[in-house]
Amino acid sequence: MARDIGADILLGLAVVIVITSSVGVLVMRDPYQKLHFVTPAALVAPALVALAVLVRMGLDENTGETCLALVLMGIAGPFLSHATVRAIRIRETGDWRLRKGGQAAAEGEPS
Amino acid sequence: MVTVFVAAAIAMLIGIIPAGIVLSRGNLMAAVVAYEFITSVMVMVLALLAQGFQRSGLFELAVLLAVLMFGSGLVFVRTLERWL
Repeated sequence: MARDIGADILLGLAVVIVITSSVGVLVMRDPYQKLHFVTPAALVAPALVALAVLVRMGLDENTGETCLALVLMGIAGPFLSHATVRAIRIRETGDWRLRKGGQAAAEGEPS
Repeated sequence: MVTVFVAAAIAMLIGIIPAGIVLSRGNLMAAVVAYEFITSVMVMVLALLAQGFQRSGLFELAVLLAVLMFGSGLVFVRTLERWL
């Protein structure tokens, strides 16, 4: 019974995080701000889901596979966020590097 | 019987509607961010449905999508960065 309640609370938290992050993705102005709301859904909510499965089922195959998915997402998330920010910046300014004056460096120009 | 895991999966699917609006109506890079968000949530939804229906074989889908999310996301943003 206590395990069920614990799992329910963890799942409820995960759902709340996903919904609020989704609204954040909708209402933020530019992609840089929107990207901040991907991290809670990509890292925190899966951790809560994995914990909920662990609390409900204990250590078994399902818990292991959920944790494996969580680890893969934990590895992929930061790389993907970095690559996305870089792509957004290159599309906006032509290069990801900053010049001294705050402008983006031109293609092939040293920073 | 609908377990709490299935209910959570359905709630998450409803919760991604705002991100779906950004995906369909936002500019290109905002849509990419929404796509990454939705992919992350779908990994959880697949894991929750597998747990809810007690099909341990379906957990493979969640793990597979987590792997593909990395590869496809990187290919996608690099393509947008260089060629589109």
